[in-house]
Amino acid sequence: MPQDAPQLLASLRNADGGFGLGMGQPSEMEPTALAALALDDVGARGWLAEHQREDGSFSFGVGPYVNDSMTGLGALALGPGQERERALDRLESTRARHVDSTSAIPIDESAVGWGWAKGTTSWVEPTATALWALRLTRPSSEGVKDAVALLRDRESVGGGWNYGNRVVLGEELPPFVQTTGIALVGLFGMDPDLEERGLDTLSRLWRVESAGGLSLSTTLAAFRVHGWRQEARSVRTALERLVDRTRLLGEGVALGWAALALSDRPPGED
Amino acid sequence: MSHPFGRRAFLRGAVAGGAVAVAGGVGLRALLRERPRWDEATFRPPGEAHVAVLTASSYEGSLEETVLDGLLAIGADARGANVLLKPNLVEFDPSTAINTEPRLIAATVLAFRRLGAASVVVAEGPGHRRDVQDVITRSGLAEAVAHVDAPFIDLNAAPLRRVALRSRYTDLKELWLPTPVLEADVVVSMPKMKTHHWAGVTLSLKNLFGTLPGRVYGWPKNILHWEGIEQSILDIAGAVRPSYAIIDGIVGMEGNGPISGEPVEMGILVFADDPVAADAIGSSLMGFDPERIPYISEAGLFLGQADRDQMEQRGEDPDGLTRSFAPPPLGDGVTAA
Repeated sequence: MPQDAPQLLASLRNADGGFGLGMGQPSEMEPTALAALALDDVGARGWLAEHQREDGSFSFGVGPYVNDSMTGLGALALGPGQERERALDRLESTRARHVDSTSAIPIDESAVGWGWAKGTTSWVEPTATALWALRLTRPSSEGVKDAVALLRDRESVGGGWNYGNRVVLGEELPPFVQTTGIALVGLFGMDPDLEERGLDTLSRLWRVESAGGLSLSTTLAAFRVHGWRQEARSVRTALERLVDRTRLLGEGVALGWAALALSDRPPGED
Repeated sequence: MSHPFGRRAFLRGAVAGGAVAVAGGVGLRALLRERPRWDEATFRPPGEAHVAVLTASSYEGSLEETVLDGLLAIGADARGANVLLKPNLVEFDPSTAINTEPRLIAATVLAFRRLGAASVVVAEGPGHRRDVQDVITRSGLAEAVAHVDAPFIDLNAAPLRRVALRSRYTDLKELWLPTPVLEADVVVSMPKMKTHHWAGVTLSLKNLFGTLPGRVYGWPKNILHWEGIEQSILDIAGAVRPSYAIIDGIVGMEGNGPISGEPVEMGILVFADDPVAADAIGSSLMGFDPERIPYISEAGLFLGQADRDQMEQRGEDPDGLTRSFAPPPLGDGVTAA
């Protein structure tokens, strides 16, 4: 029987309603949020509501730092209501740390997005996730402009994104499929030229990095959101085959993205 | 010997990504004033280390025998042990020599089994790429470990425990560490022999960054960059305490490592029962003075042996195999002393 991403994801459900990163692992924020979105899972939403902090964030301590990178995804996954509004309030009130541009890592100092942890630098994935949430739920937020500015600044030369460094010590760093996919899901409708370059990059690169479920899943989500139907069909076929052959190694985030990308209507699709 | 690394200070937040920012950094001099920055009951003064440098012209042929010879030369004991091999697979680019070669990893699995290990797993948490399935497949690691029937563990997704630090170079006070790392009887750090544009070299100590999960520390592991790469190396190594190191110097990387450098055919493997000794010898083989690489010289005070006079060396004479690796370029932030 062919393996099915939603079923595989569902097998990671725990008794507390949340989802783990692997079979038998404790529930965590990211796979639970993705399951809430992909499976429209009430138990997952309940787990999220239970684990939301008083300040509205989804966060945990890392020594003196607070990793709050999942607040945007949490806001999306919660669905409409007070909990979501609290998460969005929190998201809007935070930004990454400002850093200076240098010759080693030249950046636009005015572009500040979101980081993996409070007090650290802006990176592509947490910024794209914040943008995804704000664009869909609070499109007039100043955060939307900030996120787009950050993604413009961190675009790899020629288009697409890696984790967030365009040039380091004179070397142009290439884009990755997974981060380009997530950035494009967040960016939809915000900057047509930037999106076009990203989609072209994704179209060129996805077959090269097609050995990974997370890359294929975010690619499929991006092509679907942007209405690139022909490319989406090819990616869907590749992803379904990979799921069937490898179960995406049973990893909760990859399965969550796969289930979401393959679902009837991923959030953000026009 | 004088190299640009020697002018590096311990820089905090200097390469935190998106920018280099020397201002606000905590320099080595400040650290020296506050010694000891480690729990003296936990870290006893380093004793004699055992190091072996063996030649291996390529990744073909009897690599398993060479690895076994190297492990026996340093007196490695893995009888009944659960062994975790930690290679370096920060990301994948087929045109460069970024990663520990999968055939060497597979050969090491087999060698540890011959030493009587109860189990051998391969584990890594890539620092730049979240899609581990793609990295291990395209790099050839998935096929290599499948060939020797060894499991691969994605340390970015593994279960975690919080562990109190026993050294104080960062302000983290604790680390989130994967339970497979904590529960292994023997952890083997298996780095590529590479330059590193922020740390000077990336060998068995720096390789331990990959034991920390991206879902906690970010991609790249930006929290560690804010705490200082070199400070983080010392605290992580103090928490993980690898038993052995095997440096893949068959093909190394020079210049703008750890990602964008050029391959160097060195034809050597370095084995040690002490990661500091491995890195001291490894950096010497690359033509760099380990005493002028601050985190290695600091590690020699409490984590392991950096003094060559206190190492029992077997195999080839390192001095006869030394090459002058092109050093990495320096940003305007990291030239500050």
